[in-house]
Amino acid sequence: MRSVGGMLLRAVAAFDRWVREPVDPRPLCWFRCWLGALSLVNILLLWPDMPMWLADDGVLPPEVHRPPLAGPSLTVYAFSADATAIWLIRGLGVVGGLGMCLGILPRCAAACGWLAITSYSWRNPLILHSGDALLRIATFFLIFARTDAVLSLPRWLRRRGGPAGGVREPPARVPAWPQRILQLQLCILYLATGIWKSGGPAWRDGTAVGIVLQMGEFERFPIPDVLLTPAMSKAFSWATLAFELGFPLLVWPRRLRLPVLGIGLAFHAGLEWMLNVQLFQWTITAFYLLFLDPAAGRRAGADVADVVSPSRPASSVPRSVPACSAGPARPARRFSWWRSPCRAPSQTRPCGRHAGCGDGPVRPR
Amino acid sequence: MRTNASAAARRPSPPLVRHWQTILVAAYALAAFSWTMPVWVFPPKRILDPATAPVMRAFGLWQSWEMFAPDPRREDIRVEVLFANHDGGGHGIMLTAMESMGYGERFQRERWRKFFNDHLRLDDERRLWQPFAAFMVRSLRQEGQDPAALELVRWWRAADPQFGPDVRPAVRRAPWSSHVFHRWTAPPEFAR
Repeated sequence: MRSVGGMLLRAVAAFDRWVREPVDPRPLCWFRCWLGALSLVNILLLWPDMPMWLADDGVLPPEVHRPPLAGPSLTVYAFSADATAIWLIRGLGVVGGLGMCLGILPRCAAACGWLAITSYSWRNPLILHSGDALLRIATFFLIFARTDAVLSLPRWLRRRGGPAGGVREPPARVPAWPQRILQLQLCILYLATGIWKSGGPAWRDGTAVGIVLQMGEFERFPIPDVLLTPAMSKAFSWATLAFELGFPLLVWPRRLRLPVLGIGLAFHAGLEWMLNVQLFQWTITAFYLLFLDPAAGRRAGADVADVVSPSRPASSVPRSVPACSAGPARPARRFSWWRSPCRAPSQTRPCGRHAGCGDGPVRPR
Repeated sequence: MRTNASAAARRPSPPLVRHWQTILVAAYALAAFSWTMPVWVFPPKRILDPATAPVMRAFGLWQSWEMFAPDPRREDIRVEVLFANHDGGGHGIMLTAMESMGYGERFQRERWRKFFNDHLRLDDERRLWQPFAAFMVRSLRQEGQDPAALELVRWWRAADPQFGPDVRPAVRRAPWSSHVFHRWTAPPEFAR
């Protein structure tokens, strides 16, 4: 009993550390930039039809309008009338999308984007797809995230005007909680849709994908004949269930993360080819950026550089883990990024900064 | 006095304040989980959803992720508007024949499919029929037509049980069924 209590306490403490330890801001910045572009495209796609969907003399006049949930919501309709509201949504959507994409006042931009999406979602919930919900939730939490460290036009302009050269410092770490919420949000999404589907007979007997692909309303690009067989329908239906139920668990171990994200990208690219669901696949895969480890990416780049030009001294390749001054640096192991560098049993470059390296002073060799 | 003030400054803040980020993340995850799960998986949903609704609604965080679930719809759907002009002429406009549109138009008009196929055609959504008919008459008159009467038609055909290359939407032979679900004779002075 005591051990169960102890395990629970340790789990809670680990969760607390995971949420509160500051993180590298780059994944959040990449996410902000890409989400801004998607928000902009989303509002431009909606633009020509806005009078039809949102105006009082459109398809949903106020007398038949039912908001998604009863009660007050923060939307532009709280303080503006019909025609003004449409122009406000357009303006906020464009300003928000551009601001997020270019990193100009990213928090204000996220607030503008969020207000635009929430407003049209409230005014006409009958035109929404899952991509809208993802955009709405993501822009809300980006309001609280510090995302101006990279991919920021103002920062780039400042740097351009400053002195040239110099060592580029890695960006300062930022609070992790917005990134953690968005990561959990993606896992909850996959888990929920997997559980809902697992209750459906067509998903269990493997005919679901075959049914969907017969629907002209969803048809996108042509699908090869070889994929249009009952066996492939079964394979795709069950693979969908397995992926959606497995992702929330398998994406967390570092060793599995990249393969799982790769499978996810292939899965959504396939759906994007086969089904016409506007920006949903693009938006959901944008969340994958939040799971990337910039340090691992840099190490991967260095490994590729080693492979391309093996004669190049390893020490000349910039690494996120600084080389230790104790002893000569042995050549870096190729594709070491596949494992967590600090947990690998034979750390090639002890740095003394990471858990696997002893978290203390480097011992002399 | 100064000693008291510095002692107060050194005093650790209460755990709720110190760990607000963890509490917020855990609370949001629990709320999102509850909102998206079926009640047979998460029975506390009955209590948690109403309790969290004001916050989820106010900040636009409401959500559900039931794409093609629990089962995909087994019918291919179209919605058509038929209208007759005062001079006897008339036309039909197929609103959601997505496969006959170009790729760009199909992509842009995804929300048309959502509104017309998933909502307007349903008997449960009959409150939408007359406003849409009025909107169509207004739009047609702006385009120079002179509609006197208008019908809304839903078309459907069931999915084939045998899945193969010959069930592609463009080559399927399955017959369509149709039903006029709304008729309206527009008053002559309407939208002039």
